[in-house]
Amino acid sequence: MRHIIIGAGAAGIQAAQTIRSLRPDASVLVIASDEYVHSRCMLHRYLSHERDEAGLSFVPEHFFEDQKIEQLLGVTVSGIDTGERRVILADGRAFPYDRLLIATGANSFIPPVGQFREANNVFGLRHLKDAQEIRALADPAEKILIVGSGLVGMDAAYAFLEQGKEITVVEMVDRILPLQLDETAGEAYRKLFEAAGCRFLLGKKATETVMNSSGAVETVILDDGTRIDCDLVLVAAGVRPAIECVKDSGIRAERFIEVDDYLKTSCEDVYAAGDVTGIAGIWPNAKKQGETAARNMCGQAVKYEDRYGMKNTMSFYGLTTLSLGRGAVQEGDQVIRCQDSKGYRRAILRGGKLDSILIQGAIDYSGVYQYVIKNQIDLSGIQTDIFHLSFADFYGVGERGQYLYS
Amino acid sequence: MKRILIDAAKCDGCMNCTVACMQAHREGPGTVYDLDLTDIRNESRNHIVGCADGSYKPIFCRHCDQPECVMSCMSGALQKDPVTGHVKYDEKRCGSCFMCVMNCPYGVLKADTATRTKVIKCDFCEGLADGPSCVSACPKKAIFVEEVEV
Repeated sequence: MRHIIIGAGAAGIQAAQTIRSLRPDASVLVIASDEYVHSRCMLHRYLSHERDEAGLSFVPEHFFEDQKIEQLLGVTVSGIDTGERRVILADGRAFPYDRLLIATGANSFIPPVGQFREANNVFGLRHLKDAQEIRALADPAEKILIVGSGLVGMDAAYAFLEQGKEITVVEMVDRILPLQLDETAGEAYRKLFEAAGCRFLLGKKATETVMNSSGAVETVILDDGTRIDCDLVLVAAGVRPAIECVKDSGIRAERFIEVDDYLKTSCEDVYAAGDVTGIAGIWPNAKKQGETAARNMCGQAVKYEDRYGMKNTMSFYGLTTLSLGRGAVQEGDQVIRCQDSKGYRRAILRGGKLDSILIQGAIDYSGVYQYVIKNQIDLSGIQTDIFHLSFADFYGVGERGQYLYS
Repeated sequence: MKRILIDAAKCDGCMNCTVACMQAHREGPGTVYDLDLTDIRNESRNHIVGCADGSYKPIFCRHCDQPECVMSCMSGALQKDPVTGHVKYDEKRCGSCFMCVMNCPYGVLKADTATRTKVIKCDFCEGLADGPSCVSACPKKAIFVEEVEV
Protein backbone atom coordinates (compact mmCIF):
# COMPACT_ATOMS: atom_id res chain seq x y z
CA MET A 1 0.00 0.00 0.00
CA ARG A 2 1.42 3.34 -1.12
CA HIS A 3 0.50 6.37 1.02
CA ILE A 4 1.34 9.83 -0.23
CA ILE A 5 1.08 12.91 1.96
CA ILE A 6 1.29 16.35 0.45
CA GLY A 7 2.54 18.80 3.07
CA ALA A 8 5.11 18.57 5.86
CA GLY A 9 3.43 20.72 8.49
CA ALA A 10 1.73 19.64 11.70
CA ALA A 11 -0.99 17.60 9.97
CA GLY A 12 1.23 15.99 7.32
CA ILE A 13 3.99 14.90 9.69
CA GLN A 14 1.55 13.60 12.29
CA ALA A 15 -0.20 11.58 9.59
CA ALA A 16 3.07 10.12 8.30
CA GLN A 17 4.05 9.11 11.82
CA THR A 18 0.65 7.58 12.53
CA ILE A 19 0.59 5.55 9.31
CA ARG A 20 4.07 4.29 10.08
CA SER A 21 3.09 3.16 13.57
CA LEU A 22 -0.09 1.43 12.32
CA ARG A 23 1.41 -0.06 9.16
CA PRO A 24 5.10 -0.84 9.66
CA ASP A 25 5.43 -2.18 6.11
CA ALA A 26 3.45 0.39 4.15
CA SER A 27 5.24 2.79 1.86
CA VAL A 28 4.87 6.41 2.98
CA LEU A 29 6.03 9.36 0.90
CA VAL A 30 5.86 12.99 2.09
CA ILE A 31 5.92 15.57 -0.69
CA ALA A 32 6.16 19.25 0.26
CA SER A 33 7.12 22.64 -1.05
CA ASP A 34 9.01 23.31 2.19
CA GLU A 35 12.72 22.61 1.99
CA TYR A 36 12.91 21.88 5.70
CA VAL A 37 10.35 20.51 8.10
CA HIS A 38 9.63 23.53 10.26
CA SER A 39 7.19 24.86 12.78
CA ARG A 40 5.28 27.80 11.38
CA CYS A 41 4.56 29.01 14.89
CA MET A 42 8.25 29.66 15.47
CA LEU A 43 9.19 31.63 12.35
CA HIS A 44 9.52 34.81 14.41
CA ARG A 45 12.40 33.16 16.26
CA TYR A 46 14.15 32.85 12.92
CA LEU A 47 13.53 36.53 12.20
CA SER A 48 15.07 37.40 15.55
CA HIS A 49 18.14 35.22 14.81
CA GLU A 50 17.39 33.11 17.89
CA ARG A 51 17.05 29.95 15.82
CA ASP A 52 18.40 28.72 12.51
CA GLU A 53 16.59 26.55 9.96
CA ALA A 54 17.34 23.33 11.85
CA GLY A 55 16.22 24.93 15.12
CA LEU A 56 12.73 25.42 13.70
CA SER A 57 12.21 21.71 13.14
CA PHE A 58 9.59 19.99 15.28
CA VAL A 59 10.72 16.45 14.48
CA PRO A 60 13.78 14.55 15.72
CA GLU A 61 16.95 14.99 13.68
CA HIS A 62 16.81 11.79 11.62
CA PHE A 63 13.03 11.57 11.55
CA PHE A 64 12.57 10.39 7.96
CA GLU A 65 15.36 7.78 8.07
CA ASP A 66 14.36 6.48 11.50
CA GLN A 67 10.69 6.22 10.57
CA LYS A 68 11.46 4.84 7.11
CA ILE A 69 9.39 7.57 5.54
CA GLU A 70 10.38 8.74 2.08
CA GLN A 71 10.51 12.47 1.53
CA LEU A 72 10.55 14.80 -1.39
CA LEU A 73 10.94 18.32 -0.05
CA GLY A 74 11.28 21.60 -1.92
CA VAL A 75 9.06 20.57 -4.84
CA THR A 76 5.76 21.91 -6.13
CA VAL A 77 2.73 19.72 -6.70
CA SER A 78 1.00 20.98 -9.81
CA GLY A 79 -1.96 18.65 -9.82
CA ILE A 80 -3.65 15.46 -8.72
CA ASP A 81 -4.92 12.97 -11.28
CA THR A 82 -7.64 11.24 -9.27
CA GLY A 83 -8.55 8.97 -12.21
CA GLU A 84 -5.06 7.55 -12.63
CA ARG A 85 -4.40 8.06 -8.89
CA ARG A 86 -1.21 10.02 -9.36
CA VAL A 87 0.32 13.13 -7.82
CA ILE A 88 1.92 15.27 -10.51
CA LEU A 89 4.80 17.63 -9.81
CA ALA A 90 5.55 20.89 -11.60
CA ASP A 91 8.75 19.31 -12.96
CA GLY A 92 6.67 16.65 -14.72
CA ARG A 93 7.33 13.74 -12.39
CA ALA A 94 4.31 11.71 -11.28
CA PHE A 95 3.88 9.48 -8.23
CA PRO A 96 1.15 6.85 -7.96
CA TYR A 97 -0.81 6.50 -4.71
CA ASP A 98 -3.25 4.09 -3.13
CA ARG A 99 -4.19 6.57 -0.39
CA LEU A 100 -3.55 10.29 -0.56
CA LEU A 101 -3.60 12.95 2.14
CA ILE A 102 -3.66 16.63 1.25
CA ALA A 103 -2.20 18.64 4.13
CA THR A 104 -0.94 21.64 2.22
CA GLY A 105 -1.90 24.13 4.92
CA ALA A 106 -2.48 27.74 4.02
CA ASN A 107 -0.78 30.74 2.49
CA SER A 108 -0.69 34.34 3.67
CA PHE A 109 -3.39 36.59 2.34
CA ILE A 110 -2.01 39.79 0.89
CA PRO A 111 -4.87 42.28 0.47
CA PRO A 112 -5.00 44.24 -2.80
CA VAL A 113 -3.81 47.50 -1.23
CA GLY A 114 -1.84 49.71 -3.61
CA GLN A 115 1.08 47.69 -4.97
CA PHE A 116 1.28 45.21 -2.08
CA ARG A 117 0.93 42.28 -4.47
CA GLU A 118 3.53 43.46 -7.01
CA ALA A 119 6.21 44.95 -4.75
CA ASN A 120 9.39 43.01 -3.94
CA ASN A 121 9.57 44.13 -0.31
CA VAL A 122 6.08 43.15 0.85
CA PHE A 123 5.70 39.76 2.49
CA GLY A 124 3.39 37.53 4.44
CA LEU A 125 4.94 35.36 7.15
CA ARG A 126 3.82 31.79 6.78
CA HIS A 127 6.61 29.62 5.45
CA LEU A 128 10.31 29.41 6.18
CA LYS A 129 10.84 30.65 2.64
CA ASP A 130 8.99 33.87 3.60
CA ALA A 131 11.09 34.24 6.74
CA GLN A 132 14.32 33.72 4.77
CA GLU A 133 13.37 36.40 2.25
CA ILE A 134 12.19 38.75 4.99
CA ARG A 135 15.33 38.32 7.05
CA ALA A 136 17.58 39.02 4.08
CA LEU A 137 15.83 42.36 3.60
CA ALA A 138 15.21 43.06 7.30
CA ASP A 139 18.84 42.80 8.34
CA PRO A 140 19.90 45.95 6.46
CA ALA A 141 16.47 47.64 6.88
CA GLU A 142 15.80 50.41 9.37
CA LYS A 143 12.08 51.00 9.13
CA ILE A 144 9.65 48.11 9.04
CA LEU A 145 5.89 48.42 8.72
CA ILE A 146 3.65 45.64 9.99
CA VAL A 147 0.08 45.56 8.76
CA GLY A 148 -2.14 43.73 11.24
CA SER A 149 -1.69 43.29 15.00
CA GLY A 150 -2.72 39.66 15.30
CA LEU A 151 -0.37 37.03 16.69
CA VAL A 152 1.73 36.79 13.53
CA GLY A 153 2.11 40.57 13.35
CA MET A 154 3.01 40.94 17.02
CA ASP A 155 5.42 38.00 16.97
CA ALA A 156 7.22 39.63 14.04
CA ALA A 157 7.16 43.06 15.71
CA TYR A 158 8.75 41.53 18.80
CA ALA A 159 11.48 39.87 16.74
CA PHE A 160 12.31 43.07 14.84
CA LEU A 161 12.29 45.21 17.98
CA GLU A 162 14.86 42.82 19.46
CA GLN A 163 16.97 43.62 16.40
CA GLY A 164 16.72 47.34 17.08
CA LYS A 165 14.48 48.14 14.12
CA GLU A 166 12.06 51.04 13.94
CA ILE A 167 8.66 49.34 13.94
CA THR A 168 5.22 50.69 13.09
CA VAL A 169 2.15 48.49 13.45
CA VAL A 170 -1.07 49.46 11.67
CA GLU A 171 -4.30 47.88 12.87
CA MET A 172 -7.85 48.42 11.59
CA VAL A 173 -9.42 47.82 15.01
CA ASP A 174 -8.81 50.33 17.81
CA ARG A 175 -6.83 47.87 19.95
CA ILE A 176 -4.12 45.28 19.41
CA LEU A 177 -4.59 41.49 19.23
CA PRO A 178 -8.31 42.19 18.83
CA LEU A 179 -9.38 38.58 18.21
CA GLN A 180 -7.71 37.27 21.35
CA LEU A 181 -7.79 40.12 23.84
CA ASP A 182 -10.15 42.69 25.29
CA GLU A 183 -9.18 46.32 25.82
CA THR A 184 -7.54 45.84 29.21
CA ALA A 185 -5.43 42.86 28.22
CA GLY A 186 -4.51 44.42 24.87
CA GLU A 187 -3.43 47.64 26.53
CA ALA A 188 -1.03 45.77 28.82
CA TYR A 189 0.78 44.44 25.76
CA ARG A 190 0.55 47.73 23.89
CA LYS A 191 2.39 49.47 26.75
CA LEU A 192 5.09 46.80 26.84
CA PHE A 193 5.62 47.06 23.09
CA GLU A 194 5.62 50.85 23.21
CA ALA A 195 8.23 50.78 25.97
CA ALA A 196 10.36 48.71 23.58
CA GLY A 197 10.00 51.41 20.91
CA CYS A 198 7.04 50.13 18.88
CA ARG A 199 4.69 52.67 17.32
CA PHE A 200 1.01 51.74 16.92
CA LEU A 201 -1.45 53.32 14.53
CA LEU A 202 -4.80 51.89 15.61
CA GLY A 203 -8.20 52.18 13.98
CA LYS A 204 -6.49 52.90 10.66
CA LYS A 205 -6.22 51.13 7.33
CA ALA A 206 -3.51 51.04 4.68
CA THR A 207 -5.05 52.28 1.42
CA GLU A 208 -2.28 53.33 -0.96
CA THR A 209 1.38 52.73 -1.62
CA VAL A 210 4.25 54.53 -3.30
CA MET A 211 6.57 52.15 -5.15
CA ASN A 212 10.05 53.17 -6.30
CA SER A 213 11.73 52.33 -9.61
CA SER A 214 13.35 49.18 -8.21
CA GLY A 215 9.95 47.74 -7.30
CA ALA A 216 9.96 48.38 -3.56
CA VAL A 217 7.20 50.07 -1.60
CA GLU A 218 8.80 53.13 0.02
CA THR A 219 5.74 54.71 1.56
CA VAL A 220 2.38 53.37 2.69
CA ILE A 221 -0.51 55.81 2.96
CA LEU A 222 -3.31 55.22 5.47
CA ASP A 223 -7.01 56.07 5.17
CA ASP A 224 -6.50 59.20 7.30
CA GLY A 225 -3.69 60.42 5.05
CA THR A 226 -0.82 59.40 7.35
CA ARG A 227 2.28 58.54 5.33
CA ILE A 228 4.64 55.87 6.66
CA ASP A 229 8.08 55.49 5.12
CA CYS A 230 9.37 51.94 5.19
CA ASP A 231 12.11 49.65 3.89
CA LEU A 232 10.03 46.52 4.32
CA VAL A 233 6.33 45.69 4.77
CA LEU A 234 5.06 42.61 6.57
CA VAL A 235 1.39 41.89 5.97
CA ALA A 236 -0.21 39.87 8.75
CA ALA A 237 -3.79 39.88 7.51
CA GLY A 238 -4.68 36.23 7.85
CA VAL A 239 -4.31 33.17 5.64
CA ARG A 240 -6.18 31.32 2.93
CA PRO A 241 -6.20 27.51 2.54
CA ALA A 242 -3.64 26.30 -0.02
CA ILE A 243 -5.95 24.51 -2.44
CA GLU A 244 -4.12 25.17 -5.74
CA CYS A 245 -3.07 21.54 -6.16
CA VAL A 246 -6.66 20.23 -6.28
CA LYS A 247 -7.64 22.44 -9.20
CA ASP A 248 -9.35 20.39 -11.96
CA SER A 249 -8.83 17.19 -9.95
CA GLY A 250 -12.49 16.62 -9.18
CA ILE A 251 -11.76 16.99 -5.46
CA ARG A 252 -14.48 19.30 -4.18
CA ALA A 253 -13.07 22.58 -2.89
CA GLU A 254 -14.26 26.13 -2.81
CA ARG A 255 -12.49 28.20 -0.20
CA PHE A 256 -11.15 25.04 1.40
CA ILE A 257 -11.20 21.31 0.67
CA GLU A 258 -14.50 19.76 1.71
CA VAL A 259 -14.19 16.73 3.95
CA ASP A 260 -16.67 14.41 5.67
CA ASP A 261 -16.56 13.39 9.35
CA TYR A 262 -13.76 10.95 8.51
CA LEU A 263 -11.76 13.70 6.78
CA LYS A 264 -12.28 12.06 3.39
CA THR A 265 -12.66 14.40 0.44
CA SER A 266 -15.23 13.99 -2.32
CA CYS A 267 -12.83 11.59 -4.07
CA GLU A 268 -12.30 7.98 -3.06
CA ASP A 269 -9.09 7.33 -1.07
CA VAL A 270 -8.22 11.03 -0.93
CA TYR A 271 -8.20 12.70 2.50
CA ALA A 272 -7.41 16.18 3.76
CA ALA A 273 -6.26 17.50 7.14
CA GLY A 274 -5.10 20.72 8.76
CA ASP A 275 -5.63 24.30 7.66
CA VAL A 276 -6.62 23.24 4.16
CA THR A 277 -9.91 21.78 5.50
CA GLY A 278 -11.00 25.03 7.12
CA ILE A 279 -12.06 23.13 10.27
CA ALA A 280 -10.02 24.67 13.08
CA GLY A 281 -6.68 25.81 11.84
CA ILE A 282 -4.49 25.76 14.87
CA TRP A 283 -1.59 23.47 15.69
CA PRO A 284 -3.18 20.91 18.03
CA ASN A 285 -6.23 20.54 15.80
CA ALA A 286 -4.07 20.17 12.68
CA LYS A 287 -2.11 17.39 14.37
CA LYS A 288 -5.27 15.65 15.50
CA GLN A 289 -6.72 15.88 12.01
CA GLY A 290 -3.50 14.41 10.62
CA GLU A 291 -3.81 11.54 13.05
CA THR A 292 -7.51 10.94 12.35
CA ALA A 293 -7.02 11.07 8.57
CA ALA A 294 -4.13 8.61 8.85
CA ARG A 295 -6.23 6.18 10.88
CA ASN A 296 -8.95 6.29 8.27
CA MET A 297 -6.39 5.85 5.49
CA CYS A 298 -5.28 2.70 7.31
CA GLY A 299 -8.80 1.30 7.31
CA GLN A 300 -10.03 2.31 10.77
CA ALA A 301 -13.28 4.27 10.77
CA VAL A 302 -12.52 7.20 13.08
CA LYS A 303 -14.60 10.38 13.17
CA TYR A 304 -12.87 13.70 13.69
CA GLU A 305 -14.35 15.27 16.82
CA ASP A 306 -12.30 18.23 18.07
CA ARG A 307 -13.64 21.25 16.21
CA TYR A 308 -12.94 23.81 18.90
CA GLY A 309 -10.35 26.26 17.66
CA MET A 310 -10.96 29.51 19.48
CA LYS A 311 -8.01 29.17 21.75
CA ASN A 312 -4.63 30.79 22.05
CA THR A 313 -1.77 31.48 24.36
CA MET A 314 0.87 34.16 24.00
CA SER A 315 3.87 35.47 25.82
CA PHE A 316 5.62 38.79 25.22
CA TYR A 317 8.08 40.55 27.53
CA GLY A 318 7.47 37.96 30.26
CA LEU A 319 3.70 38.53 30.28
CA THR A 320 1.72 35.39 29.43
CA THR A 321 -1.93 35.26 28.38
CA LEU A 322 -4.43 32.53 27.70
CA SER A 323 -7.53 33.29 25.68
CA LEU A 324 -10.39 30.86 25.11
CA GLY A 325 -13.64 31.61 23.33
CA ARG A 326 -14.90 34.40 21.18
CA GLY A 327 -14.92 36.95 23.99
CA ALA A 328 -18.06 38.64 22.68
CA VAL A 329 -20.61 39.61 25.32
CA GLN A 330 -24.30 38.91 24.61
CA GLU A 331 -27.34 40.18 26.45
CA GLY A 332 -27.91 38.20 29.62
CA ASP A 333 -24.27 37.12 29.95
CA GLN A 334 -22.52 37.33 33.26
CA VAL A 335 -19.15 39.05 32.88
CA ILE A 336 -16.72 38.67 35.76
CA ARG A 337 -13.49 40.64 35.91
CA CYS A 338 -10.69 40.41 38.41
CA GLN A 339 -7.41 42.24 38.68
CA ASP A 340 -4.95 41.37 41.41
CA SER A 341 -1.27 40.59 41.98
CA LYS A 342 -1.60 37.53 39.74
CA GLY A 343 -2.80 39.57 36.79
CA TYR A 344 -6.01 40.32 34.93
CA ARG A 345 -8.80 37.84 34.30
CA ARG A 346 -12.16 38.04 32.60
CA ALA A 347 -14.79 35.33 32.30
CA ILE A 348 -18.01 35.36 30.27
CA LEU A 349 -20.68 33.00 31.57
CA ARG A 350 -23.76 32.19 29.56
CA GLY A 351 -26.61 30.18 31.10
CA GLY A 352 -24.45 28.72 33.85
CA LYS A 353 -21.76 27.63 31.42
CA LEU A 354 -18.43 29.22 30.59
CA ASP A 355 -18.32 30.82 27.14
CA SER A 356 -14.97 32.62 27.18
CA ILE A 357 -12.08 33.19 29.52
CA LEU A 358 -9.08 35.46 29.38
CA ILE A 359 -6.24 35.01 31.84
CA GLN A 360 -3.33 37.43 31.71
CA GLY A 361 -0.44 36.93 34.08
CA ALA A 362 -0.19 33.61 35.89
CA ILE A 363 -1.74 30.97 33.60
CA ASP A 364 -0.68 28.11 35.87
CA TYR A 365 -2.85 24.98 35.82
CA SER A 366 -5.35 26.65 33.50
CA GLY A 367 -5.86 23.60 31.28
CA VAL A 368 -9.27 22.78 32.73
CA TYR A 369 -10.91 25.85 31.19
CA GLN A 370 -10.70 24.55 27.64
CA TYR A 371 -12.36 21.31 28.68
CA VAL A 372 -15.09 23.18 30.54
CA ILE A 373 -15.81 25.45 27.56
CA LYS A 374 -15.46 22.85 24.81
CA ASN A 375 -17.74 20.38 26.57
CA GLN A 376 -20.12 23.08 27.82
CA ILE A 377 -19.94 21.80 31.40
CA ASP A 378 -22.70 23.15 33.64
CA LEU A 379 -20.94 25.06 36.40
CA SER A 380 -24.00 26.08 38.38
CA GLY A 381 -23.44 23.37 41.01
CA ILE A 382 -19.78 24.19 41.54
CA GLN A 383 -18.87 26.22 44.62
CA THR A 384 -15.36 27.22 43.56
CA ASP A 385 -15.22 30.68 42.00
CA ILE A 386 -14.61 30.75 38.28
CA PHE A 387 -11.01 31.95 38.48
CA HIS A 388 -10.02 29.18 40.88
CA LEU A 389 -11.46 26.22 39.03
CA SER A 390 -9.18 23.21 38.94
CA PHE A 391 -9.41 19.56 38.03
CA ALA A 392 -10.16 18.95 41.73
CA ASP A 393 -13.65 20.28 41.02
CA PHE A 394 -14.24 17.46 38.52
CA TYR A 395 -11.92 14.86 40.00
CA GLY A 396 -12.13 11.27 38.86
CA VAL A 397 -9.54 8.54 38.40
CA GLY A 398 -10.06 5.60 36.05
CA GLU A 399 -8.87 2.03 36.47
CA ARG A 400 -5.56 2.48 34.73
CA GLY A 401 -4.88 5.70 36.56
CA GLN A 402 -6.00 7.95 33.72
CA TYR A 403 -7.94 10.96 35.01
CA LEU A 404 -11.65 11.22 34.20
CA TYR A 405 -14.03 14.15 34.43
CA SER A 406 -16.88 13.33 36.78
CA MET B 1 4.02 1.52 30.93
CA LYS B 2 4.66 2.60 34.50
CA ARG B 3 2.20 5.14 35.88
CA ILE B 4 1.83 6.82 39.26
CA LEU B 5 -1.57 5.62 40.42
CA ILE B 6 -3.59 7.72 42.85
CA ASP B 7 -5.86 6.73 45.72
CA ALA B 8 -7.09 10.20 46.56
CA ALA B 9 -9.10 8.99 49.56
CA LYS B 10 -5.83 8.15 51.33
CA CYS B 11 -4.27 11.57 50.73
CA ASP B 12 -4.16 13.70 53.89
CA GLY B 13 -2.63 16.72 52.16
CA CYS B 14 0.78 16.55 53.93
CA MET B 15 2.52 17.67 50.73
CA ASN B 16 5.55 15.46 51.29
CA CYS B 17 5.23 14.59 47.58
CA THR B 18 5.42 18.25 46.64
CA VAL B 19 8.50 18.89 48.75
CA ALA B 20 10.13 15.70 47.42
CA CYS B 21 9.51 16.87 43.87
CA MET B 22 11.02 20.29 44.61
CA GLN B 23 14.05 18.58 46.14
CA ALA B 24 14.40 16.22 43.17
CA HIS B 25 14.41 19.11 40.70
CA ARG B 26 16.48 21.69 42.58
CA GLU B 27 19.41 23.09 40.66
CA GLY B 28 22.29 22.82 43.15
CA PRO B 29 23.24 19.95 45.45
CA GLY B 30 21.85 19.53 48.95
CA THR B 31 19.27 17.73 50.99
CA VAL B 32 15.67 18.42 51.79
CA TYR B 33 16.89 20.03 55.04
CA ASP B 34 18.51 22.95 53.23
CA LEU B 35 15.98 23.15 50.38
CA ASP B 36 14.73 26.73 50.07
CA LEU B 37 10.97 26.36 49.88
CA THR B 38 10.56 30.05 49.08
CA ASP B 39 12.93 30.00 46.08
CA ILE B 40 10.65 30.31 43.04
CA ARG B 41 13.13 28.25 41.01
CA ASN B 42 12.37 25.20 43.16
CA GLU B 43 9.02 24.32 41.69
CA SER B 44 7.08 21.15 42.12
CA ARG B 45 5.76 19.19 39.14
CA ASN B 46 2.82 17.93 41.18
CA HIS B 47 0.37 19.80 43.35
CA ILE B 48 -2.36 19.04 45.84
CA VAL B 49 -5.66 20.88 45.90
CA GLY B 50 -7.34 21.17 49.27
CA CYS B 51 -11.10 21.08 48.70
CA ALA B 52 -13.90 22.83 50.58
CA ASP B 53 -15.21 19.46 51.81
CA GLY B 54 -11.92 18.79 53.60
CA SER B 55 -10.65 16.30 51.03
CA TYR B 56 -7.39 16.56 49.11
CA LYS B 57 -6.96 15.97 45.41
CA PRO B 58 -3.49 15.06 44.10
CA ILE B 59 -2.89 16.54 40.64
CA PHE B 60 -0.12 14.53 38.98
CA CYS B 61 0.92 14.20 35.34
CA ARG B 62 -0.72 11.07 33.91
CA HIS B 63 1.74 10.65 31.03
CA CYS B 64 -1.53 10.22 29.18
CA ASP B 65 -2.41 7.51 26.67
CA GLN B 66 -3.38 10.28 24.25
CA PRO B 67 -1.36 13.22 25.54
CA GLU B 68 -2.99 16.51 24.61
CA CYS B 69 0.19 18.36 25.59
CA VAL B 70 2.15 16.47 22.93
CA MET B 71 -0.56 17.20 20.36
CA SER B 72 -0.34 20.90 21.13
CA CYS B 73 3.46 21.15 21.08
CA MET B 74 4.61 23.11 18.04
CA SER B 75 8.33 22.76 18.71
CA GLY B 76 8.60 19.00 19.22
CA ALA B 77 9.78 19.59 22.82
CA LEU B 78 7.07 17.31 24.22
CA GLN B 79 7.18 13.73 22.94
CA LYS B 80 5.69 10.48 24.19
CA ASP B 81 8.52 7.98 24.51
CA PRO B 82 7.49 4.89 22.53
CA VAL B 83 9.42 2.59 24.88
CA THR B 84 8.61 3.90 28.38
CA GLY B 85 5.30 5.56 27.46
CA HIS B 86 6.33 8.63 29.44
CA VAL B 87 5.88 12.12 28.05
CA LYS B 88 9.28 13.75 27.90
CA TYR B 89 10.01 17.45 27.80
CA ASP B 90 13.08 18.86 26.09
CA GLU B 91 13.61 22.32 27.52
CA LYS B 92 16.08 23.29 24.77
CA ARG B 93 13.57 22.67 22.00
CA CYS B 94 10.70 24.41 23.78
CA GLY B 95 9.33 27.49 21.99
CA SER B 96 7.69 28.86 25.19
CA CYS B 97 4.27 29.13 23.55
CA PHE B 98 2.45 27.50 26.49
CA MET B 99 -0.14 25.84 24.28
CA CYS B 100 0.51 22.70 26.38
CA VAL B 101 -0.52 24.56 29.56
CA MET B 102 -3.81 25.42 27.89
CA ASN B 103 -4.32 21.99 26.35
CA CYS B 104 -3.67 19.73 29.36
CA PRO B 105 -7.30 18.86 30.23
CA TYR B 106 -6.35 18.22 33.85
CA GLY B 107 -4.54 21.49 34.52
CA VAL B 108 -1.30 19.78 35.48
CA LEU B 109 1.09 22.06 33.61
CA LYS B 110 2.34 25.55 34.37
CA ALA B 111 4.93 27.98 33.07
CA ASP B 112 8.00 28.31 35.28
CA THR B 113 7.55 31.21 37.67
CA ALA B 114 11.10 32.54 37.50
CA THR B 115 11.56 33.03 33.74
CA ARG B 116 8.22 32.16 32.08
CA THR B 117 10.15 30.45 29.31
CA LYS B 118 9.79 26.80 30.30
CA VAL B 119 7.12 24.36 31.32
CA ILE B 120 7.13 22.63 34.69
CA LYS B 121 6.55 19.00 33.73
CA CYS B 122 6.90 15.63 35.49
CA ASP B 123 9.86 13.60 34.20
CA PHE B 124 9.05 10.52 36.30
CA CYS B 125 12.37 11.21 38.09
CA GLU B 126 14.11 9.58 35.17
CA GLY B 127 17.33 7.92 36.26
CA LEU B 128 16.38 7.47 39.93
CA ALA B 129 16.66 3.78 40.82
CA ASP B 130 13.86 3.95 43.40
CA GLY B 131 11.42 5.57 40.99
CA PRO B 132 9.66 8.90 41.38
CA SER B 133 10.62 10.86 44.50
CA CYS B 134 7.01 11.85 45.22
CA VAL B 135 5.98 8.20 45.52
CA SER B 136 8.89 7.36 47.84
CA ALA B 137 7.94 10.31 50.05
CA CYS B 138 4.22 9.54 50.44
CA PRO B 139 3.57 8.22 53.96
CA LYS B 140 -0.03 7.21 53.18
CA LYS B 141 0.57 5.19 50.01
CA ALA B 142 -1.92 7.49 48.31
CA ILE B 143 0.35 7.45 45.27
CA PHE B 144 2.11 4.35 44.01
CA VAL B 145 3.74 3.18 40.81
CA GLU B 146 2.18 0.37 38.84
CA GLU B 147 2.64 -1.13 35.43
CA VAL B 148 -0.47 -0.39 33.36
CA GLU B 149 -1.37 -1.89 30.01
CA VAL B 150 -0.85 0.31 27.02
